[in-house]
Amino acid sequence: MMRDTRIRRLPMALSALVALALAVLPLPSLLEPLRPDFLVLVVFYWCIESPRAGGLGLAFVSGLALDVVHGVVLGQHALALTLMGAWATHLRLRIRVFSVLSQCLTIFALLTGYQFVLFWVDGATGNPVTNFGRWLAPFIGALLWPLLVNAFSNFRAR
Amino acid sequence: MVAFRSTDTSGRTTGLLVRCVLYSLLALGLMIVDKRYDHLGRIRRVLSVVAYPVQIAVSSPFDGWNWFRNSVTTRDTLRTEKTKLEAQLRVAQFRLQRYEALEAESQRLRALRDSTAGVTDRFLIGDVMNVDLDAFRERVLVDKGASDGVYVGQAVLDSGGVFGQVARVGELTSEVILVSDAAHAIPVQINRTGLRTIAVGSGDMSLLKLPYLPTSADIIAGDLLVTSGLGGGFPAGYPVGTVADVKRDPAQSLADVDVKPAAALDRSRELLFVWLKPQAAEALPQPAAPKTTPPKPAAPKQ
Repeated sequence: MMRDTRIRRLPMALSALVALALAVLPLPSLLEPLRPDFLVLVVFYWCIESPRAGGLGLAFVSGLALDVVHGVVLGQHALALTLMGAWATHLRLRIRVFSVLSQCLTIFALLTGYQFVLFWVDGATGNPVTNFGRWLAPFIGALLWPLLVNAFSNFRAR
Repeated sequence: MVAFRSTDTSGRTTGLLVRCVLYSLLALGLMIVDKRYDHLGRIRRVLSVVAYPVQIAVSSPFDGWNWFRNSVTTRDTLRTEKTKLEAQLRVAQFRLQRYEALEAESQRLRALRDSTAGVTDRFLIGDVMNVDLDAFRERVLVDKGASDGVYVGQAVLDSGGVFGQVARVGELTSEVILVSDAAHAIPVQINRTGLRTIAVGSGDMSLLKLPYLPTSADIIAGDLLVTSGLGGGFPAGYPVGTVADVKRDPAQSLADVDVKPAAALDRSRELLFVWLKPQAAEALPQPAAPKTTPPKPAAPKQ
């Protein structure tokens, strides 16, 4: 058991780092609003896959990292990711047996919840972003989810 | 088929709710402390150093590609570029010839009027890093930070004019908020008439707005806007933009003025950080202004 969790930490940290890099990768400004929240998807994956290896801790730390690289009030992404990570952990046994479509829909709901918390904190701290573009990211993210899970399980099968 | 592989399928996660509540409270506490008090600056600086390797890792391939493209340009391109630059330099030198004399004259006149010497500025050049900060806010990350003496609120220019100001400082990097950000305002003056007002960002990199001018204001398309230096945030006299369009609707009391920024906000890679002489900014002449809105310090509304 102890060894089990230890083995899982490295891929967790590595995948989170790669996702963080993707979150700041420069894109043409036209594509920028379409950028999915890679790090959020990765955190959801680990929350569902191995909740006892510290998925929620990963969610909090990843959120802080996002706050720093996006230069917003410290704790905004951390709060959103913690709440949605906890929800994903709570739903994990159900998500496992869902069909691909239901999984995508669930992830879509989680991502929308995540955006909503961000939106709410933006408004509460006096920098509202009233741009419909930000609600596009959950769509793209949900579409990417099956690919991400497949990539992870292929990688781990080796 | 989407499949999870782990064998960790027991229904129980010990204390999920407790941990969720704890982490959420921690995040909320951080937000309140960060927003209300100024204690987190140091922590944020340290965190920004931790994030630096990731940002460098993302930025360096693009820098490398730019370097590669520069180093394989043909002789012809270099030659045409050289001729163009020489022409530009010649024009600039013609303009500069009288600068020394004019500056000395200005000093003498100011001494006569017993007013302070003109604002002398210190500069530092920084490079924009190839990193995206936020898709919905106009900000860039620059590779100069607190260790280079950069401070929050510092004015940032590019070769065309005013670019923005420093919104947040890390140890090695700093975030610059562009003049076109919707949360940014800058005190300006119309060069032709001396009329003072405030230019606010629109969220669109090619557009600033002058929302506080009455329809009767003397302003026409083509007018140059320069910084007024009021508020002390920006040095006076740098170009901010040119008026692109003035819409006067008789039913409205305020004119709708569009301004094209002077700085190449979407293209500039090299930026200039400016240090103001601390007292010079305080002692700028402030003639009475009954009509226009009193300029406020251009701080990003956070």
